[in-house]
Amino acid sequence: MEINKTAIAGTLESSDVQIMISKGTSGIQFEVESDVEKQFGDQIRQTVTDVLRQYDVKNADVKIVDKGALDMVIKARTIAAVQRALDIVDQPKWEVL
Amino acid sequence: MQVQDLYLTNPLIKKKWQAFLTDCGITDFSENEVAKIDETIGIYDGETLVATGSIAGQVIKYVAVCQKGVTNGSRFNTILTELINRLMQRGIYHIFVFTKPKYVTSFEHVGFEKLAGTTKGVLLESGRPNINDYLSDIPHVVSSYDKKIAAIVMNANPFTLGHRYLIEKAAKENDSVYVFVVSQDASLFTTTERVKLVSAGVADLSNVTIVNGGDYMVSYTTFPAYFMQSADDVIAYQTTLDARLFKEKIAPELNITRRYLGSEPLSHTTNIYNQTLQRELTDNIAVSVVPRKESSTGQVISATTVRQAIATNQVKLIANMLPKTTMDFIKENMAVLQDRIKKGQKIHGN
Repeated sequence: MEINKTAIAGTLESSDVQIMISKGTSGIQFEVESDVEKQFGDQIRQTVTDVLRQYDVKNADVKIVDKGALDMVIKARTIAAVQRALDIVDQPKWEVL
Repeated sequence: MQVQDLYLTNPLIKKKWQAFLTDCGITDFSENEVAKIDETIGIYDGETLVATGSIAGQVIKYVAVCQKGVTNGSRFNTILTELINRLMQRGIYHIFVFTKPKYVTSFEHVGFEKLAGTTKGVLLESGRPNINDYLSDIPHVVSSYDKKIAAIVMNANPFTLGHRYLIEKAAKENDSVYVFVVSQDASLFTTTERVKLVSAGVADLSNVTIVNGGDYMVSYTTFPAYFMQSADDVIAYQTTLDARLFKEKIAPELNITRRYLGSEPLSHTTNIYNQTLQRELTDNIAVSVVPRKESSTGQVISATTVRQAIATNQVKLIANMLPKTTMDFIKENMAVLQDRIKKGQKIHGN
């Protein structure tokens, strides 16, 4: 699926993450801002990549501002952002959830 | 923590809001600034306002937070989340913020990136398309490292023989020239018209690239004083930001080593801008100030004069200031242009 619209989900509160997805051209590109980037940066990227793959998104620019979110929070926020970016908020993909 | 709307049209709320900001060291409540606010939000602790922030176009403004009794940064993050979400809902995905140098890290912590700064203020951005997207969209000169590449920024409202002269001179003295046309639609000639007339006016110069100045070159966001009356210290601050942004972000990416300016006998703001550029750029970028070209009758060529002539229906007098392409356009669209002036479009200034 092609991302044509920029969308955002999540907040900047403690234990949450803000994920912004916009149109990309060369694979999935990340920009991560996190206090625990060193420890969990790769894991955060992996979680987001997994969700994007389930939506068959091949190209996207993803900006992550992490405030110490747990894995499932990252997953949930990514799902919300992708659904918004693809304009399919009213058609949840149950197999991803 | 409940975020609420603050309606500044209510004098009581506005007074409280202003008092809180003043306490936090924000003191500029000039009409110019406050009138631009689209939305203001705040957090109350009981009856007291403890945090606030506003949106004006694509700019986040008037952010102030009292940290007393809560975890550092938590109110700030709440306010920023809400402001960003509201901007997104308005379809604004590219956000700017101006702040004092000491608050830069707070904004960097929520995903903003620094563009340029002075001791008075720093400009940061977040979202897309950002400056890297903007720069990668500009056609790059091939194997540019050993070439002479120059830049000119112009509003070209409209394109005159003076602009032509400046570009021609730069094109002759360099391998390649970028002409950045100011993108803000605040002038008598619309952006599309201005870009079209510049392109038409230099179509024969093969080493000239016309680029939209975007949000980064004399834009309404970063340099509002260009478009409206402002105090000298405001102009000085904004021109310094503009110059540093050009020097630190734009010029290195495109390997620009020279900037051409037209000498400025007529406009006060542009004159300060020229002085700032000469002061700020010189260590990395050579600045060439080219004296204004005079028309065949010895008048200084100026787009302001052209606009006045349109207003007073005397375009014959300025025929020797304009290339044929611009002249033809004005003749064809005379009625439209005069109508814009009647509707209140300013023709003085820039």
